Amino acid sequence: MTQVILAAVLGLLFALGTFLILRRDVVRVVWGVTIISQAANVYLVTMGGLTGQSPVLGHGGEHPVACSVPDAGAECVTDPLVQALVLTAIVISFGTTAFALVLTYRLYEEHGTLNLGEVTAE
Amino acid sequence: MTLDRKPTVIARTVTRLVVPMILVTAIALLLQGHNLPGGGFIAGVLTVTAFALVYIIYGLDYLETELLDRTPAVRYETESGIVREYGRVFASGLAVAAGSGVAAMVLGYPFLTQAVAFLEHLPVYGELEVASALVFDLGVYAVVVGALLTILAEVGAE
Amino acid sequence: MSADLAVSTTHVVIAPMLVALVTAVATLATRRHDRLQRALSLLGVGAYAVGVAVLADRVLSGGTLTYQLSAWPAPFGISLVADALAAFMLSLAALVTVALLVFSVVYVDEQGQRVSYHPLFHFMLLGVSGSFLTGDVFNLFVWFEVMLMPSYVFVAFYSGPRHTAAALQYTVLNLFGSALMLVSIGGLYATTGTLNMADIARRLAAPAEFGIDPAPVLGLSTILLVVFALKAGIVPFHFWVPPAYRAAPAPVSAFLAGVTKKVGIYAIVRLYFTVFAAGAVEGGLGLPALSGESFLAFFGPVLFAMALASMLVGGVGAVSRDALDDVFAYSSISQVGFIVLPLAVVATVSDPALRTLGVVAALVYSLNHAVAKSLLFLVSGTVYDATGTIEFERLGGLTTRFPVLSGSFFVGSLALVGIPPLSGFFGKLLVLDTGGRALAAGTPGAGLALAGALAGAIFTIAYLSRTWSQGFWGEVTPLVEHGSQSSVLVGVVAALALVVVAVGIGFDPVYSFAESAARAALDTDAYVDAVDPGVVARE
Repeated sequence: MTQVILAAVLGLLFALGTFLILRRDVVRVVWGVTIISQAANVYLVTMGGLTGQSPVLGHGGEHPVACSVPDAGAECVTDPLVQALVLTAIVISFGTTAFALVLTYRLYEEHGTLNLGEVTAE
Repeated sequence: MTLDRKPTVIARTVTRLVVPMILVTAIALLLQGHNLPGGGFIAGVLTVTAFALVYIIYGLDYLETELLDRTPAVRYETESGIVREYGRVFASGLAVAAGSGVAAMVLGYPFLTQAVAFLEHLPVYGELEVASALVFDLGVYAVVVGALLTILAEVGAE
Repeated sequence: MSADLAVSTTHVVIAPMLVALVTAVATLATRRHDRLQRALSLLGVGAYAVGVAVLADRVLSGGTLTYQLSAWPAPFGISLVADALAAFMLSLAALVTVALLVFSVVYVDEQGQRVSYHPLFHFMLLGVSGSFLTGDVFNLFVWFEVMLMPSYVFVAFYSGPRHTAAALQYTVLNLFGSALMLVSIGGLYATTGTLNMADIARRLAAPAEFGIDPAPVLGLSTILLVVFALKAGIVPFHFWVPPAYRAAPAPVSAFLAGVTKKVGIYAIVRLYFTVFAAGAVEGGLGLPALSGESFLAFFGPVLFAMALASMLVGGVGAVSRDALDDVFAYSSISQVGFIVLPLAVVATVSDPALRTLGVVAALVYSLNHAVAKSLLFLVSGTVYDATGTIEFERLGGLTTRFPVLSGSFFVGSLALVGIPPLSGFFGKLLVLDTGGRALAAGTPGAGLALAGALAGAIFTIAYLSRTWSQGFWGEVTPLVEHGSQSSVLVGVVAALALVVVAVGIGFDPVYSFAESAARAALDTDAYVDAVDPGVVARE
């Protein structure tokens, strides 16, 4: 059930991001790309499997068998690798998005508009 | 930043109370990062939220005028005053993180190899775990704090 | 003592990256001391070149070197793999970068250098080196980002309205590309259970043993191809190239065209010819154009169409431009087509000798393009520095006023056209040779490839001679008359022109280097053995 809900949410996020990217307003385009990269992050987490205990020693990580392994049993742990990947990806997209927003602000200051059609027409 | 009216007393008081708590939590996350949830990045972000709170409630110059007791530099001048110091924090963080990796190479292990030592029979603590990963985390922490505060101060000044 | 020696040998693998990182930090820390910062920056790039040279020497004499970061064994840790292919690309980067940085120190204004030019440049170099050396798909993503972030800032470097618009377009596009890359990496991890390139290749070679379905891997690697094509600026993912190259400072445009694009090419060679080449879909896809069972057989036609389109779109675009930078930007789209074309042709053939030849052709052409196109962008920068313009309308008579500069441009354009004995001659020759042999072997589409390559070559001659006659010949315009050239800039440009000549004349060692690089790229088993991702399972 969780998988179905997550798949639907992911689909919605990607659709929303794509819709926003196709707008003319620069701010919306940046938001769209942000939403898509967040959706990619959520997708990345789901790729490690959804169930399982936390893999930290002393908190359920005494039986380090990943749930994605067949016949892992009930005490399997969630794959910690994808979480490490996502953390890295979040940091990167955070920095880039901040830069894109600063550029958007400067674009507004320099062109006096946020309409992409008017910006590129120059 | 020109607000029509000052933030309420409630906001100011809450900020005074919350900021130390955020900072302590950040330090706790930093220290346990090598084997429990936490780490340099998240601790850095948390620290920056404390700064952001101060910026929002007390204004951009409060840090420099009240806490550091000096006159803030003129803005719109590239890299003036406190921003320059944030840049320094960023650079030194990067140096610490890279240095922690190189240190392992000097000892003959591959880049970034980590080790852990246990100090036993300490007063109060009993046993203390000293992980070399903490140095790397500390570097990351400084990088994140330096970078985010630079963005915050620069963008906030615009 | 022997243990120490072994360690010092392997540390060479990480040396280029460490040198770039340390230089970046050092230049960041010395921002207040202009001269010191510049000296450190130049020293750093010199050390980088030395490090790359030592690494290349070790790899060529002693075979592939691997390095496990933090001493975690593959596939659990982050592996760095320095084989002949990585060494070739690193050497290409080092060769160009040294010239570019010397050029930058004089060309970029004081204020600009003080702000953050040098740290950013070395971070970009770090990202490039990391991409060449990493043996892990997710790390490839990380190094791509390390390479891209400084380039965003560089495109917006001059902070005019046009630069901001170009930078925003470039940033948003690459953010989208990064999200796509994450999606395909996530999928690869879920389907193959690993991110280590050697491990992916090992598992794809025996899908039943590891319980892998190769079909989704094919789809995910197609998404990845889109990302690499975006980085390399291959049609239809080329549209960001001209505005970004125009907006960035000349040495950075040269870096973007000469080195960053080659990272995309490298990723295509490494992942599709080394890693995914191990995969095959049983029974084929059942589509008319995509016959065969191996992954490469499917990617061949796709790359082929993209390469042809790049050569033509870039060529047509370059013929109609009116400024040096614009011509060179479109030209680089067209030239990337020449690099991808032999790869596309040999992707469908099974003859190992022909396949090696195709990869050699792509690598030699990459080297030629990296040096020659950097040279041309630096000429454009020097012209701008001397006269204040790069528009054909206001240029003319550069040959009489600045003979050395014009001569270097002439050498660079002849290299792009492919005149012997310059480096470009061998690039073109190998590309055409690949096409000809494929035609002789009866490969479908080889004739079209040859025709496309000839058409592309004619376009190259057309736009370069147009640039020559409009910008360098003719009446001396007032701007040119009153311009004054910097001897250092002209010196760097002339030095690059000499490199172009030297690579052509002393082509033999370059060819054997490229050949061992191509062999390394195509020898999946040797790559897997060197990284040895199965070591933990065996113990």
